[in-house]
Amino acid sequence: MTNSSDIAKEEDRRTKRITLALLTPGTLWMLLFLIVPMLMMVYVSFWTQTTFTIVPTLTLKSWITFFSSDTYFGALLTTGRIWLTVLFLTIIIGYPVALFIGLFIKNKTIQTVVLVLCVIPFWTSFLIRVLAWRPMLGKEGAVNIVLEKIGLITHPIEMLLFTEFSVVIGMTQIYVVFMVGPIAFMLARIDQSLIEAARDLGANTWRIFRTIILPLSMPGVVVGAIFVSVMVLGEFATSGALSGRKVNLLGNIIVTQVGSLKWAFAAVVGVILTAVMAVVVAGLLRIVDLRKEL
Amino acid sequence: MGNNPALRWALMAFTGLFIAYLYGPFVVLTIISFQAGPEGGPQFPIIEWSVYWYKHIFGLTPPSRIAPLPIGEAMVRSLTLAFATMVTSTVLGTLTAQAFRRRFKGSGFVFYLVVLGMIVPGVLVGLGIALVANNLGIPRAWWGTSFVAHVVYTFPFAFLVMLAIFNRFDKSVEEAAWSLGVSPMTTFRRITFPLIFPGVLSAMLFAFTLSYDEFPRTLFAAGADLTLPLAIYGTFSVEIHPNIFAFGVLTTLFSFGILTVYGVLMGMTVRRAKKMAIQEDIA
Repeated sequence: MTNSSDIAKEEDRRTKRITLALLTPGTLWMLLFLIVPMLMMVYVSFWTQTTFTIVPTLTLKSWITFFSSDTYFGALLTTGRIWLTVLFLTIIIGYPVALFIGLFIKNKTIQTVVLVLCVIPFWTSFLIRVLAWRPMLGKEGAVNIVLEKIGLITHPIEMLLFTEFSVVIGMTQIYVVFMVGPIAFMLARIDQSLIEAARDLGANTWRIFRTIILPLSMPGVVVGAIFVSVMVLGEFATSGALSGRKVNLLGNIIVTQVGSLKWAFAAVVGVILTAVMAVVVAGLLRIVDLRKEL
Repeated sequence: MGNNPALRWALMAFTGLFIAYLYGPFVVLTIISFQAGPEGGPQFPIIEWSVYWYKHIFGLTPPSRIAPLPIGEAMVRSLTLAFATMVTSTVLGTLTAQAFRRRFKGSGFVFYLVVLGMIVPGVLVGLGIALVANNLGIPRAWWGTSFVAHVVYTFPFAFLVMLAIFNRFDKSVEEAAWSLGVSPMTTFRRITFPLIFPGVLSAMLFAFTLSYDEFPRTLFAAGADLTLPLAIYGTFSVEIHPNIFAFGVLTTLFSFGILTVYGVLMGMTVRRAKKMAIQEDIA
């Protein structure tokens, strides 16, 4: 009796050792190269900035500079505005597409083909994809040429490029697929007989959408919103390339500050960006309980 | 819902417009890449169709005021980095996912810790790693600081893919092999590995493509020697020429190539699995 329980205990210890051994490399990697750097960023944000270097004398100076400057505080507001606009557009554009892919295409093969079709643009380098919007939206760009050809406008529209508009259009195109994917995935899981039963009971299309399809697809919307939010909030390349330096997001501030060796100030902006993201993600996770739904 | 014809056509038209929106820039980019050179700029109208800018990339044009893209060495670095990232994150992902096949205390913590790597914006990871490196006096380099930053990003993808694979994995096959006295090494080689191979392949593909095109993490963590996305970024601030679009077309074709290899390997495993299933049926 004692013997067998000893063996069981020994076995248990062995399993625990193996699990620990398997977990150590990955956990250590993340702690050392993700958590430590993030903590370092928080710490450095309180350091003293001299002209070319930073010294570890704690001060609130960089924080005060951020909140007392219109330029930097304005960047926070711009980031919020662009984020909300792009998030809204990706939902408005992405949802109907996901609805079509997930619910209206019954054939699984065609479904996959259309989804792959949405992913193919990602095989072009991210930066080149962003740059491609310039000949698209410019004064002599493709959009203006097409609009003039079909007679909608007589003079090219100049405000298409190097404005907030072009940044929003570019970001929406780059990130909308991250909204389509999760929603289509959730919609494809809906049991068709549920919808048929509702119809048999006399529900119209709108009612079916509102009471069955929308609630069941919400986890997809939330996952998509998290993807889009974290990517847009951390952006700087699209706004840099398509706004002609007119739109400054928090990410752009970080890049310029690091460029001029203002590490402490860059760290302040980094901490603020992290806080904004944490609030956004936590808020989105409150809408649905993902662990329960997936 | 799926039977409403008016709605169906409306959504189909909308999806068509959506695809056009996704592909618009790429179509324009391809057209402009055939612009005449060296006088033609990255805009309409096309002065004359030519492959000048493709030749320009490979240094086959007579020297002009437009410098060739500084991509040769950068590309070798990026491919090396992507390869190392791919191997490391696939190994880490497989090990960690293997641990998750048993329940253990703190699994929630480890799960969120790993997934955090794909959520935190790259610019922050890059900044944090640069700060740590500066402070410890470690020089920043693409093979050092950039490499660890890349793995922080790709390891979560590999982990999630492998987790999904292990969830569908029938453990009794492994146990049967062990109880028949097959050594753990042979069991892994003959049983476990063939079963998880499609997952490993997907994890590798994810890691490679994400690392190869990774930009925000690399920006602060690369040091003096540039990777490919950094080299492209360098041309942003200066004037843009159609050669960058020609290069975009070429890299897209390259990605097609990699995905074809992936597709062929995947197809081979599926076929082999089917063949084995048939043999088992006969037996």
